[in-house]
Amino acid sequence: MKSLAQFIRGTVQRNWRRVLLGALSLVVFFGAWQTYSWYLNANDIGYKAYFPYPGEVAEAFLDSFVTPDFSGLLMTDHIMASLKRIFLGFTLAFAIALPAGLLIGSYLTAEAVGMPIVEIFRPIPPLAWIPIVLIVLGHLSGPVVIVFLGIFFPVLFNVILGVKRVDPLLLDAAKTLGAKRNHIFFKVILPFTTPYLMTGIKVGLGIGWMCIVAAEMVGQYGGGVGYYIWARTAESNYDYVFAGIAMIAILGILTTGVASQVERRLYRWMGMK
Amino acid sequence: MEKMTSIIAVVVAAAIVLAGTALYVLYDLGDDDGDGNTVYYVVEPPSSMKGTLAAGQIDGYIAWEPFVSDSVVGGVGTVLKWSGEIVPNHPCCVVAVHDPFISDDEGQELAARFLKAHMNATDWINAAMENKASPEYNLLKEIAVDFTMRNESVVEEALDHMTFHYATDDDFTVALENFTEMYLDLGVIGEEKIADGGYENVTDFVDQYVNGSYLEIAQFVEPVDTILNPDSPIRLGFLSGDLHQLAQAVAKSSEVLGNGKSIFENYGLNVDDAIGAPFANGGAVMDAFAGGYVDIGYLGSPPAILKHLNAEVDTTILAQVNIEGSAIVVKTGSGIDNLNGLVGKVVATPGESSIQFLLLKIVLQQEGLSLKIRT
Repeated sequence: MKSLAQFIRGTVQRNWRRVLLGALSLVVFFGAWQTYSWYLNANDIGYKAYFPYPGEVAEAFLDSFVTPDFSGLLMTDHIMASLKRIFLGFTLAFAIALPAGLLIGSYLTAEAVGMPIVEIFRPIPPLAWIPIVLIVLGHLSGPVVIVFLGIFFPVLFNVILGVKRVDPLLLDAAKTLGAKRNHIFFKVILPFTTPYLMTGIKVGLGIGWMCIVAAEMVGQYGGGVGYYIWARTAESNYDYVFAGIAMIAILGILTTGVASQVERRLYRWMGMK
Repeated sequence: MEKMTSIIAVVVAAAIVLAGTALYVLYDLGDDDGDGNTVYYVVEPPSSMKGTLAAGQIDGYIAWEPFVSDSVVGGVGTVLKWSGEIVPNHPCCVVAVHDPFISDDEGQELAARFLKAHMNATDWINAAMENKASPEYNLLKEIAVDFTMRNESVVEEALDHMTFHYATDDDFTVALENFTEMYLDLGVIGEEKIADGGYENVTDFVDQYVNGSYLEIAQFVEPVDTILNPDSPIRLGFLSGDLHQLAQAVAKSSEVLGNGKSIFENYGLNVDDAIGAPFANGGAVMDAFAGGYVDIGYLGSPPAILKHLNAEVDTTILAQVNIEGSAIVVKTGSGIDNLNGLVGKVVATPGESSIQFLLLKIVLQQEGLSLKIRT
C-alpha cells in the first residue's frame, strides 16, 4: 500500500503546474489581504478594524471551536444547525423536484399543468419570502423552506432539460428492440437525465448556502453559521465575522465535494464511466 | 404507462415520508420545558415581531416603540413590563458625532449649534406632550405619523410611554458603565479592548466617551439669519421610523417654528440625511461613521459602545435622545401575567447586542430566571 507521502509526491509530480499555480494564486490572495489590512492600519483609516489581518481571522476561527460565544454555542453547534437546514431543505427539494421534473419533461399534460405555476414562482428570489415564511412557518421550518426554494428550481429545471434532451434515436432503438415503457424509463431516460440532475444538485447546493445565511439572519432556532456572522457583526468582532464567512466557504466546498463524489460513484455504478 | 405512474407515485410518497421523518428526527419538535427556570429567546427584527406574535410563532418579545404600541393598539399584544420598571431612567438612544468632524473650530461650532437644535426640538416635544389639546400636540402627532408610517392611535399610545431627555446626567453614565461591564462579563467586549482604546477602566472609558461640554456650550447658542454651512451640509444618520428619534424629525420640520424655517435652519445649519439614512439599526449608523458617510448620528447606546470599543470607530456621545420607552410584550389572552409565566416560552429580541436584550436578561436575573437561546 502506498504511503500518504508517496501519494502526495506522486500527485504533485503529475500535476506540478496546477499545484504551483494554485499555490501561487492563494499566496497572492492572502498577500493582497495582508497588505490591505496593513495599509488600513498604517494610514489609520476609520474602518481598519473591519478588515482584520488573515492571522487574526485564523486565530478567531480556531477559537470559535473552543470558546462558546454570547449565546453559549460553539462553532460546531452552528455548523450542525446550518447543516441540518441544508440537509432538510435539500431532501425536500430533491424529493419533490426529481419526480416533478421527470413528469413535466415526459408528459405534455404534466407540462401544461405544471409549467405556469413553476414559471410564476421561479423568478422570485427565495429571500423575498423570508418575512412571510417566518410568520407562517416559524423559526424552525421557515429557514428550511427558504433553502428548499433555493435548491428546488435548479434541480427541477435541470431534470426537465435532461428528459427533453434524451436522444430520440436512443428511444427509437430501445423501442425497436422491444423495450417496454418502464424499461425505456429506467434504462434510457433516467440514466440520460442523471448528469443533468447532478448539475442541478450542485448548482442548487450553492444557492442553498447563499439562502441559508440570509434566512438565519432574519430568524431561526439554535443559531447557524449565517446567524453567527450576523451576531458577531452586531458585536463588531470582525475577526470572528470573517471566521464565520470562511466557515461558510468551507461548508460550501465540502457539500459540493460530497455531491461530486456521489456523482462519480453513481456514474460508475450505472456503468456510464 | 400505469406502471410508471404508480412507480412515480410511490417514489414521491416515499420521498415525502423520508423528508418528514428527517424533519422529525433532526428537530426536537416537542415543547421544551427545560429545567423549570429557563426562558428561551430567538432573534428577529422588531418589524416582524407583531406578525410572529399574532401567528403564535413566539410567546412574547421585547422591543422599542412604536413596535410595542403597534401590537397593543392592534389587540395582538399586552405589555408585561415597561423597561422603566426594569431599570428606571435607563438610557436608550444618543446623539453621537464622528470625531474627525469636531477636529476643527468650525466643526465644533456646528456641533454645538446642532445640539442647540436638538435641545430645542426636545423641549418643544415635551411642551407639546404636556398639553394634548394644543395645536402643537397635533403637529407633533403629524410629524410622528410621517416619520414612523404608523397610524395616529399607535403614535399616541407610544408617545404616552416615552420620555425625551437630552442631558448626560449621572443616571446616564452609571447605566452606560453597567452595560459596558455586562458586555465585558459576557465576553462580547474583550478585556483588552478597554486598554487598547487608551482607557484606564470602564469608568474612565465612559467619562471620556461621553462629552457633555457641547450641551453646556449649546445653551448660549443664539439663532442666526444666515446658513453657516450652505455648501457642506451636516450629514445626519438616524434609524428608520424609530419613534425615539423624533427630535431630529421635529428639528427638520419647517412647520414647528411657524416662520417657515426649520429648527436646524433657525440655528444656521444646513442638515441633510446621510447617504443610506434612514438606517436599519444603530450598528449601521456606526458603520457609516467608520466609512465617513455620517457626521452626526442618532442611534442606540449599545452599538455606540460596542462599535467604538470593538471596531475602533472614532465617535463621541454628545447627548441623550430619550430614556426608557421599550417593553416586554406577551400575546393578548395568553394568560401570562408575570415573568415566571415566560418559563419554557420563546421571547423574541432584536439581537444580543441590543439594549432590549440586556434589559430582558437583567429582569429575568432579578427573578432568578435564566435566558437561553432556543435550540
